[in-house]
Amino acid sequence: MLKGIITLLSFQFLGECIAKLFSLLVPGPVIGMVLLLLFLMIRKSSFPSLDNAVSNHLRYLPLLFIPAAMGIITQVDIISKEFWAILASLVIGTIIALMFSVKLMDHLTIKQEEKK
Amino acid sequence: MNIDALITYISSTPLTWLLLTLGAFKFGIIIYEKSNKQTLLQPIIVSYLIIMSLILLTDTTYEEYFKGVEIIHFFLGPATVALALPLYNNLKHIKSLFIPIVITLLVAGIFSILIAVGLLYLLGAELPTILSMTTKSITAPIAIITSEQIGAIPSLAVGFVIITGIIGALLGTMIFKMLNIKHDTSKGFALGLISHGIGTARAIEISEKAAAFSALAMGLGGILTAVFLPLIIQVLF
Repeated sequence: MLKGIITLLSFQFLGECIAKLFSLLVPGPVIGMVLLLLFLMIRKSSFPSLDNAVSNHLRYLPLLFIPAAMGIITQVDIISKEFWAILASLVIGTIIALMFSVKLMDHLTIKQEEKK
Repeated sequence: MNIDALITYISSTPLTWLLLTLGAFKFGIIIYEKSNKQTLLQPIIVSYLIIMSLILLTDTTYEEYFKGVEIIHFFLGPATVALALPLYNNLKHIKSLFIPIVITLLVAGIFSILIAVGLLYLLGAELPTILSMTTKSITAPIAIITSEQIGAIPSLAVGFVIITGIIGALLGTMIFKMLNIKHDTSKGFALGLISHGIGTARAIEISEKAAAFSALAMGLGGILTAVFLPLIIQVLF
């Protein structure tokens, strides 16, 4: 798995370096992700040790955002002040967005099938 | 026995919070599996509430807590890079429905940000909250690093991400039935685009095709948001 871990860290490093070098606003790890995607497309396949490293990282993905998420304890003021606005935006916004996306995708898919 | 030295050690070593966090997460996984994978009992929710209670009970500051678990936070970077593999594995599906995918990705992706931000604005929320809402539909690791980039509050952003994921996963099936959605590919794509990883976990239960399209939408949506959102915000402010 070491080769896989080195691959992930190298692409992250490369992504961060490119972001700094060209003062890009895109986060370095996302550039690393795109580069790894291009690498896999050119190589036309993954390799077992990368598969391993990836599945170990993604299996516990929710654990990785606990440290950042816990910062919410410093944001009690904002949340209590804007509670209803936040709640409305999350609940109504998500329901409408989900309805809109699924209807649009389904409509376009049906239209494409009719053309064929 | 030197009790004082022991207490000083326990309250100062990063190991304490690291162990508590890992332990709480493992406990969360056990609960989640015992509950037959109830969306509301996700490991993140159970462990999050346990750790938050411990922090508040022990009067620990966020800075102290974060020092202990910084190593966990570090792995967000390689985990983001790792998302390239599931995206690569599902990229072959893009060809079969290229036009619907591209249009939905762009139009619905932008629409979902505008509706959430618009509601916040109308209801009088302030700028930091509004900025933190812009990343709510993308996968948490990308949302955290992108929100840092655009001057939002990462902890708010990740909270919004998790809640958005749960709402989509809970209501998705009902919405699809109500709207009479025909294709599993549409259901999966919408779940991944709006509710990222938590939506994808739900899409796996619909069908393999839905799962593939959900992973595809999550990956593409994450990349596009991370690339264009910081640019747009820089132009606006």
